[in-house]
Amino acid sequence: MAFLEMRGITKSFPGVVANDRVDLCVEQGQIHALLGENGAGKTTLMRILYGMYRPDEGKIFLKGREVQISNPQAAIRFGIGMVHQEFQLVPSLSVAENIVLGHELRRGFFINSREQRRKIREILERFGFELPLDVPVSQLSVGAQQQVEIIKLLYRKADLLILDEPTSVLTPQETEGLFKVLQNLREEGKTIIYITHKLREVKRLCDRATVLRQGRVVGNVIVAETNERELANLMVGEQIIDEIFPRSKQRGEVLLDLSHVSAWDDRGVPVLKDISFSIHAGEILGIAGIQGSGQSEIIEAVTGLRRIAGQIYLNGNDITHASPRRRRELGLAIIPEKRKEQGLNLQTDIKDNLISIRYFKFPFSRWAILRSQSISDFAQKIIKTYGIVAKSPRVLVRNLSGGNQQKVILGREMSDSPAVLVAAYPTRGLDVAATQFVRETMVKARDQGSAILLISADLDELFSVSDRIVVLFEGCLVFEARPEQTSFEEIGLYMTGHDHEG
Amino acid sequence: MKAKTSSLSNADKSRKTFFLNEWFGIQIIPSTLRVILTLAIAFLMGAIVMWVSGKDALQAYNALFQSSLGSRTAIANSLLAATPILFTSMAAVIAFRAGVFNVGVEGSLYLGAFAAAWVGFTFTNLQSWVLITLCLCASAIVGGVWCLIPGLLKLRLGVDELVTTILLNYVAILFTEYLVNGPFLVPGLANAMSEQIAPGARLVRLMPPSQLNLSFIIAIVVAIIVIYIMHKTTLGYEIRMVGDNPDFARWSGINVSSVIEKVMFIGGILGGLAGAGQVMGVHYRFIAGFSPGLAFTGVTVALLVRNSPLGALLVALLFGILRSGGATMELMSDVPRDLIRVLEATLIFFAAIEFGSLIRRRRRVN
Amino acid sequence: MSIEVVSNVLFSTLRVMTPLLLAALAGLISQRVNLLNIALEGLMLFGAFFAVIFGAHFENPWMGLLSSVLLNSAITLVFAFAVIELRANLIVAGLAINTLALGLTSFLLAALFDMRGAYSPSGLQSLPHITLPLVSAIPVIGPVFSGHGILVYLSWVLVVLTSILLYQTPFGIHLRAIGEKIEAAETAGIAIKRTQYIALLIGGILCALAGSQLAIGDLTLFNDSMINGRGFIALAAVFFGAGQPGLTTFGCFLFGLFEAIQYRLQMAASIPPQLPQMLPYLIVVISLTAISFQKYLKDRRTV
Repeated sequence: MAFLEMRGITKSFPGVVANDRVDLCVEQGQIHALLGENGAGKTTLMRILYGMYRPDEGKIFLKGREVQISNPQAAIRFGIGMVHQEFQLVPSLSVAENIVLGHELRRGFFINSREQRRKIREILERFGFELPLDVPVSQLSVGAQQQVEIIKLLYRKADLLILDEPTSVLTPQETEGLFKVLQNLREEGKTIIYITHKLREVKRLCDRATVLRQGRVVGNVIVAETNERELANLMVGEQIIDEIFPRSKQRGEVLLDLSHVSAWDDRGVPVLKDISFSIHAGEILGIAGIQGSGQSEIIEAVTGLRRIAGQIYLNGNDITHASPRRRRELGLAIIPEKRKEQGLNLQTDIKDNLISIRYFKFPFSRWAILRSQSISDFAQKIIKTYGIVAKSPRVLVRNLSGGNQQKVILGREMSDSPAVLVAAYPTRGLDVAATQFVRETMVKARDQGSAILLISADLDELFSVSDRIVVLFEGCLVFEARPEQTSFEEIGLYMTGHDHEG
Repeated sequence: MKAKTSSLSNADKSRKTFFLNEWFGIQIIPSTLRVILTLAIAFLMGAIVMWVSGKDALQAYNALFQSSLGSRTAIANSLLAATPILFTSMAAVIAFRAGVFNVGVEGSLYLGAFAAAWVGFTFTNLQSWVLITLCLCASAIVGGVWCLIPGLLKLRLGVDELVTTILLNYVAILFTEYLVNGPFLVPGLANAMSEQIAPGARLVRLMPPSQLNLSFIIAIVVAIIVIYIMHKTTLGYEIRMVGDNPDFARWSGINVSSVIEKVMFIGGILGGLAGAGQVMGVHYRFIAGFSPGLAFTGVTVALLVRNSPLGALLVALLFGILRSGGATMELMSDVPRDLIRVLEATLIFFAAIEFGSLIRRRRRVN
Repeated sequence: MSIEVVSNVLFSTLRVMTPLLLAALAGLISQRVNLLNIALEGLMLFGAFFAVIFGAHFENPWMGLLSSVLLNSAITLVFAFAVIELRANLIVAGLAINTLALGLTSFLLAALFDMRGAYSPSGLQSLPHITLPLVSAIPVIGPVFSGHGILVYLSWVLVVLTSILLYQTPFGIHLRAIGEKIEAAETAGIAIKRTQYIALLIGGILCALAGSQLAIGDLTLFNDSMINGRGFIALAAVFFGAGQPGLTTFGCFLFGLFEAIQYRLQMAASIPPQLPQMLPYLIVVISLTAISFQKYLKDRRTV
């Protein structure tokens, strides 16, 4: 009998089916990989198991008994624990305090720290951890913090541990340490679900693997009987490209040039490591990569919203220190990553959204006074040329569909034929027609001489419109090719760090 | 701090969904029903407080409105009381609309008032219109710069603006008090006050015997200018975008810090003008501690109308009625005028709860 | 400056820092559950008011203190309910409490006692003062530390108790967890709302003590401007101390010292009293700026 069985799990969110009749069967004492690209439905499935979401359909069985898991606390009572990508630790509390948080042993009004310590020590010895107990967790390395998370679950008597891409934040050495811990846990009879997209780790660590793609189970394999190539194929799927647009006919001079660009995230961790590339007029450069490989930082660096080391040139001008507005004046257009947060002001109407990058220029204003008629005319024109379904320019943007919202952004950014366009996930969440429209618009702009940087999680899209594809892995560019000279499989291997790490 | 400002910036999202009265593209009355309801609750609370302390609520309210609306002079006095609130509520509305919590306007009001008084009693031999212009400019600049200080501290260094603005208010109040007790001490005056300003610097009284004066007209004009700025200029556009969604503004290339600096500066200007109006139109001199928290009343108005400048104009007039009626109510019905503060507190309290429930609604949508 | 002057100033520093310290502890505890408590100012005023009114009514300052604590708790519960259950905007609700305190105390004073702004009932005694045995005999130190009102000593005890509460008890650890990382506290199954209620309630009680110290600690007087921004100075002390009880106490001492110095300057010199009166507020703003500037420089170095 399987330790855990999830049967026919279906969960849909407005517009997407995240899990479509997913079956998952995990044996006791095994490390079971849950494999798939971002957006394949792994996290949704695990959140259902952890009681954070309720499935639309399907059942969960633990040791053969059907269970209802209504919240994370209930999950923990059933012996299910999860280590999230973002640790649930309180930085200033000590290791011991974090481990027992919410389950303190009391002696009257105070903490019974001696008894508590004894229990923690027992766990440390049994599973072979080595950690100081009195140090604030903020002083620990990321790897050690992750171990605290695991011990926290063991202290709460979890038998099934879910780890969500645990190595994405670790150094190679820390990764080795984690593997040792997980192997110890397996020997002690614990069951582990290991969410990842890194094939090497599956091969190295896991007993079985379930592969998800677009919310469906596409493979269920015994790891020892397969190889990385087969897994990669399952993950990224067959190569059926929607429609290949004609490639660029002529390449002009360099319009966007990044030279030795490095950047750090908000905590000071390096996320872009000495990246250089350039894009020519009349060219679409696609960037492929697992989400979180440095895409956001590239977009912010080019937009002027993140401090960097290195140089960026736009149309021959050094814009490394230029303000976002100056960059836009030099011909930069941006379709931001987060449509609703960065790309649009949902509180206001279409016309206000359309003029946010040009309101200070004639004919939209003169002597700092807005000219309503010109603004309205412009908005009407954009609504017509981009086919935005809205009665008037005064319709609130939050009342538009996703596709029409994206068209508002496109209309704003593309109507002045920008020299350079940075398009981040421009078709995410759009229906087929809207997707097609967005891609056509980009290709048309390219044919008119724009240089386009396309960032997408969708390989179909990259193969469909790019003239060149580069792969971003952990902040480095690891591969470059023309789409006709490469394949999903090859790109997929680079995205998952296969050839890069060995 | 961050959560706070964003909650403010999103506060007026329901504005457009209530009553869509439009007038040349500008809404006239923002969610009238809500304002009326909140007022009704406040009056009810006031009645309960009076009942508990053994006073006749009906008689008190009757006296309140009799003495604020019952005659020509009463009405004029209400408009007089509304004048500084008009300025300060515009300052608060602009700040909230940009998502900033600017409580430093009270300090600008004092410093601006003193600046106007100083010009008024120093350059006595200038022509009247020159002198009046100079007085107003001095108060506006001093007030504006004063509010810019906490703004810069916040933007450059991240010093919490709420605490600094409140504490700097005390500094401004004490400093002006020092000025009239120290360098500008007028021997022979019992109270802490400056010399009288030159007759040429005094604003014309509109409806004697009321002290209602030209500053009321100036306030109305300024309010209309603010409404115009908010809806029809590039600056107003920037303020609205920054207030609605600072991230969007940043990605569009708008310099968010500079917009917030401008907003603080304008708030200070309006505070300074409010002070100048009291000096040049009412007291004809600077009097230490003359403002009973006029800037805070402006904040209350702004909270109540949820950042619509036009609504603020109307509600500021209403608050003028309460303020001017409160003083006479005390004489006629022996209910202390501090009742008005209790009413105001109730209004703020319910405004706070509405702010919260709005945010919750947004969370549910997402 | 003679030793006597110094010990005089230090004595009054310890006295005037007490309401700051009590309010700062209130602010600190609510800061630790991530609730910026703007209402300190108003709650202190309420506390002072109730202490005077009921102290006079029962002709017993202890009853005044007790009533102040009870009524402040009730007001704090309303505030907490609005903030926690109705999700009222914290700052706006805090401003409401402050405005209400100003309005209601003046209103009741006028309506019930026919007094304007200030009230000093004749039958009211202040809380007892304590002469420390042994300590009082030590020269220099004795006159500084001995002879204070009882709440002064209580405030020192409360600093220690707050430290113990925050760092040694499950409740304190939950408090800190909520303030620092609410998701972590939530997944650990901590009762967040209950903890926030208790934190605010403790704050309300501490503000009652702070107000009582001002009103019936040494004097026996209520005055509608007696708080005069002390609630916000207390809040600034919490920022200054970065939420640590020890550092916050030091901040209160520092701000109290300048307040004591300004009293001294007012008495001693011929300069108008307003200049020294500005001193504490300016010092607070300057020290907040200095702290932020230091942080700013550090951040720049790391980037």
